[in-house]
Amino acid sequence: MKIEVLFPELCNLFGDSSNIKYLSKCLPDAEFIKTSLNDDLKFLNDDIALVYMGPMSESAQEKVINKLKEHKAQIIEKIEQNQIFLFTGNAVEVLYNYIENEDGSKIEGLGIFDLYAKRDMWHRYNGLVLGKYQDIEIVGFQTQFTKTYGDVEKYPFLNLERGMGMNKEHKVEGVCKNNFYGTYVIGPILVLNPYFTEFLLKKMGVENPQIAFKEAVVDAYNQRLKEFKDPAVKID
Amino acid sequence: MKENKKTLRFYFTLWSMKFLTRSLKLIGKNATHLPGNIALKMCPDFLAQIEKPKTIIGVTGTNGKTTVSNLINDILTDNGYNVGGNKFGGNIDAGIAAALMAQSTLSGKATKDIEVLEIDERMTPYILPYVQPNFLVCTNLFRDSYKRNAHSDFIVSILNKQIPKTSKLILNGEDLISNHLAEDNDRVYFGISSKDTKTTPTNNIIKDIVSCPKCNSKLDFEYIRYNHIGVAHCPNCDYGSPKFDYDVDTINYEEKYIIINSKGEREKYRLIGNNATDIYNEATAITLLREFGLTSDQIEKSLQNIKIVESRFDEVVVNGKKIISNLAKGQNPIACSRVMDFVRQQEGKKAVILEFDDYFDAQHSSENVAWLFDTDFEFLNSDDIVQVITGGPRHKDMKTRMLLAGIPEEKIFVCEKEVDTPQFLDIDKVDTIFVLHDIYTHHYSVTIKNKIMEMLSK
Repeated sequence: MKIEVLFPELCNLFGDSSNIKYLSKCLPDAEFIKTSLNDDLKFLNDDIALVYMGPMSESAQEKVINKLKEHKAQIIEKIEQNQIFLFTGNAVEVLYNYIENEDGSKIEGLGIFDLYAKRDMWHRYNGLVLGKYQDIEIVGFQTQFTKTYGDVEKYPFLNLERGMGMNKEHKVEGVCKNNFYGTYVIGPILVLNPYFTEFLLKKMGVENPQIAFKEAVVDAYNQRLKEFKDPAVKID
Repeated sequence: MKENKKTLRFYFTLWSMKFLTRSLKLIGKNATHLPGNIALKMCPDFLAQIEKPKTIIGVTGTNGKTTVSNLINDILTDNGYNVGGNKFGGNIDAGIAAALMAQSTLSGKATKDIEVLEIDERMTPYILPYVQPNFLVCTNLFRDSYKRNAHSDFIVSILNKQIPKTSKLILNGEDLISNHLAEDNDRVYFGISSKDTKTTPTNNIIKDIVSCPKCNSKLDFEYIRYNHIGVAHCPNCDYGSPKFDYDVDTINYEEKYIIINSKGEREKYRLIGNNATDIYNEATAITLLREFGLTSDQIEKSLQNIKIVESRFDEVVVNGKKIISNLAKGQNPIACSRVMDFVRQQEGKKAVILEFDDYFDAQHSSENVAWLFDTDFEFLNSDDIVQVITGGPRHKDMKTRMLLAGIPEEKIFVCEKEVDTPQFLDIDKVDTIFVLHDIYTHHYSVTIKNKIMEMLSK
């Protein structure tokens, strides 16, 4: 089984590299391919179980857009063909129509999802996330400069119980289309969400997924779930 | 520099805050932030109106700001200069306002000839337009608190917008992120080319620069001292580390000196610390002072009398066993990784107690633990570390993180309450017990230390 990590030299903010580290403990026999910005994209031609991309700086977003845009049609095709993708933090924004700066200037994205992000570099949003993907409760953290607009309810990843989600006005978070999962949840999302990780591993074709350190991970997950559901716990 | 004409509002603010400062001091409170905060509310362009001294030395960067600015301040003072600064105050706009106010007359004139100001890098848009340093030191730039500082690219973009064109920059030649700041400004670089016997190169999780920002090629590193600190060049374009103007080419820990090669002159200085971080701080301060105009003799004479105040490190020995308390700044993966690297390099069998859960989040929220996964817990996975213990609201996350780092489960001990951690100590098996704590969990570390001392005295 092969897992492709896109541009880890740039897309590695907020502890997200731990997702790959955790997957390598869950899948000791898997091959992890780290694709740099100057390399060819493997998932376009190879059999890749999961394509992962983590959060990045604003300038890195532009580089990634430039890299991916020449493959737009193939990426759309891959999403239609149920290729599994997991994009965390602001990685999903590169597939939006555009990202708008405070001065109104726009950085054109790949336009795969009919959404746009607006940056506000002086008001960073930090908050907790509690939501559901199908019947799996997801917990995590958001830390970002952007809010997302457009038809955010068209393909949500999470239905939110608590948290900002895309822009505070909708109770949804992230983007999910076929097997493309994009979420603003940053950091060790797979370590923090054992049942989603099991779901993802099954999706990737692992018959009887054995997540690493299950007892400790589930214990931490249950505590976090309890805390996030407590109305006394401030969400942002 | 934006300098506004003094208004009646300015004078009213200045006088009332001077009165408040005096009153606070009378009741034994430090007037480090509050008068500055109120002053900026009463008179928003207070920093533009207050007069500044002839020379301003600014010190910014992620790590080492306080130590470097204190060193500069102390050496200038020792050489007879009339120096002020925010040594006892905050490094954001309110702290700078409070310092300038304290060092001004009732008419708002500066009473000092030189201000040495530690400046928070994130807050420079509120400070640098009004307080423009003649010399600006940037110690280094790393990933810091995600919530506040986002990432190093963000801080670079802020600094590039704010650094005055007239400021001479003192930059770290081994930090590719900060040494490319404000490329049109006049600048000098410091660095350490000497082999450092005490620092083993580390393979950290965080490497804030790996590829060339110009052409994306993987950089060729000649060496990495820690994280991205080192010397590198792009194999495909002209991007790379600069030549050091002030180069620490000799380190002698035994005889306590360093030699700095500057423009062909080799200058010997007393080494006032005992590790690479201390040498970076000292070299930074010396570079600034040489550029300011002090001679190497003047600096060396002052260094003979200087001691770095080590409030962040505390060591006691009880019945032959050491207890070392060390600050490990929470939410800052670089700072905590540096301390963990220090722990692993110490000799003997060790137990480590970790207390850096965020104190404030613990009161009313649930801490974002992502930073733990950028912190090099892997450094604690070594044969001579026989126990890793933690207590506090995030103990279950800490256990997960330690397991992911490969620390054997039988070495990991966790509990809910911070102060209950000593109960797990197997005192007979260890020579040294480290207690790593955040700034705001220091009180727990004091209780823990006292409990361990009691255990050791029995």
